[in-house]
Amino acid sequence: MKRELIFALLLILSGVLIAALYLFGGGADLNIVTELRLPRLILTVFTGMALAGIGSVYQLMLANPLAEPYILGISSGSAFGAILFGVLGLTLLMPLGGFIGAVLTLVVVWRLAQKKGSFDRSRLLIAGVIAGMFFAAGISLVMYLFQKDTMIILGTLMGNLGHVFTHGEWSFFLVLMGISLLILAWLYFRAPALDIMSGGDVYAGSVGINVSRVRKEIFILTSLLIGITVSYAGIIGFVGLIIPHVVRFFVPSGQKRVYLWSLAGGGVFLLLGDLIAKNIAAIELPVGVVTAAVGCPFFVWLMLRK
Amino acid sequence: MKRISALAAALLALLAGACHSGAEAEGQLRIVALSPEVAEIIAALDGTSNLVGVTRECDYPPQLTRIEQVGNFGAVNKEAILALKPDLVFTSALEQEALGTDLQKMGLRVIQIYPRKLDDLPLAVIEIGRQIGKTTEAKALADSLSRGIAAMRNRSAGLSRPKVYLEIYRDPLMSVSDYSFVGELIETAGGDNIFSTLERDYARVDPEDVVKARPDIIICYSHDDLSSLLARKGWQDIPAIRDRRVYFEADLDPDLIQQATPRTLRGLDLLHQLFFPEANEL
Repeated sequence: MKRELIFALLLILSGVLIAALYLFGGGADLNIVTELRLPRLILTVFTGMALAGIGSVYQLMLANPLAEPYILGISSGSAFGAILFGVLGLTLLMPLGGFIGAVLTLVVVWRLAQKKGSFDRSRLLIAGVIAGMFFAAGISLVMYLFQKDTMIILGTLMGNLGHVFTHGEWSFFLVLMGISLLILAWLYFRAPALDIMSGGDVYAGSVGINVSRVRKEIFILTSLLIGITVSYAGIIGFVGLIIPHVVRFFVPSGQKRVYLWSLAGGGVFLLLGDLIAKNIAAIELPVGVVTAAVGCPFFVWLMLRK
Repeated sequence: MKRISALAAALLALLAGACHSGAEAEGQLRIVALSPEVAEIIAALDGTSNLVGVTRECDYPPQLTRIEQVGNFGAVNKEAILALKPDLVFTSALEQEALGTDLQKMGLRVIQIYPRKLDDLPLAVIEIGRQIGKTTEAKALADSLSRGIAAMRNRSAGLSRPKVYLEIYRDPLMSVSDYSFVGELIETAGGDNIFSTLERDYARVDPEDVVKARPDIIICYSHDDLSSLLARKGWQDIPAIRDRRVYFEADLDPDLIQQATPRTLRGLDLLHQLFFPEANEL
């Protein structure tokens, strides 16, 4: 409990400090702070929250410590859709392409994972990995065919939180984010069921949990969420994999609390990653590279300390 | 064993036949040009009839589209080039750097032409002319290009330079530095590129820096449209947005300012007209 308190205090303090630096660092007028930096901050925190939250859910649901939000192939499908729209010149519609890609992948993985009404986690994992590999091949093909658009492709594959919003797009994004926050809240209330399911499907069934149904609901809703994050921010690795593990160092048990602190930790960590990505070099670095470069040594240090 | 030898012989004969079928018009210099810039210069030097292979991007003048294509700029089919039995292959830089070395290993004569700066353009024309035996035409074209460039520098000298932002991509936002060909053109035509120094010719930029720089003119090649550009969050105070001085591919063909060709002079002229509409009305 004491350790959790220290973690919470550290997280809140660093969150406030990082957000202040993010918004007001280097001096900027009000227009830049409210119209450019604040929307980017909101996108970043939301993306970090969603990735780390889903990561903690997947690690438990799939009973696999290596599970992360991108493991079920949705991100590759989404990135493929966004990239395809981008290289075809439909720059404005890239988020739509990303979302269409995510939904198509969702349907494919959904179909593959079912067997006689059951929704087995090994089948789901295999179906997701296969779909992911298929769309990754599609992305490679597009990369090969449209070499001059490499930057659009890399922007999506390595994460890009600098999405340029119009006023209309921003309003639409806020609506999507509102829906996403509802999904995140729903996942919070599913935490006790997930805790029980981690004891095995038979055991969970014996205490009255409809395992297949819970798994299906979680899969569909998290897939939509991943589709939204990839559509606007591209693929940002590491956050969804490591943050839940870091949280578990401080909060050893209880998915409810692990999930909550993963949300907070993911948001703060990605904000820090983006702050570094924007300022460490003269050129903005891909945020996905920074999250891995900062997070890996930290995680190694935590592991060695234990 | 006999059967295998017979099969091998038949295969060889087939291969020889396939290679031979590519050869036409004996005695004439056979050229493959892999960059649209070089192909356009060769056409301007009246060498279109010597071109036996081009890449998909070589679309100006339109006659070039009737020539056999050996792939696109970044993915060239080496076998298709060999089959054309060229005397000379012109490559460019970037993705074609390694390709040039490969083609040389295959025994082909490869010339790399990549005019990076505006003043390299007349030199490239002279070099291409020398290689394809059109020295007189090349000298005349190079002279007219040099004169045109010098004249533009004179026209722009002393004018108050509008700040210009050229957008290549929207997501992520990318622009050009003065070290790029197009960046140098903007400066030569009298504009002041807001990202004159970047780490690379083409690099990612921060939207904040665009807003802070307050460009007078925006040239937008990122497939965005006017209504969405005008509605970008935080961009409303930019003079170019306020005064609607925003131009797209339809207003200024990117090939005219992004490629080093004889049409570059036309590109310079159009840029100057965008930068100084009043002076051009007189």
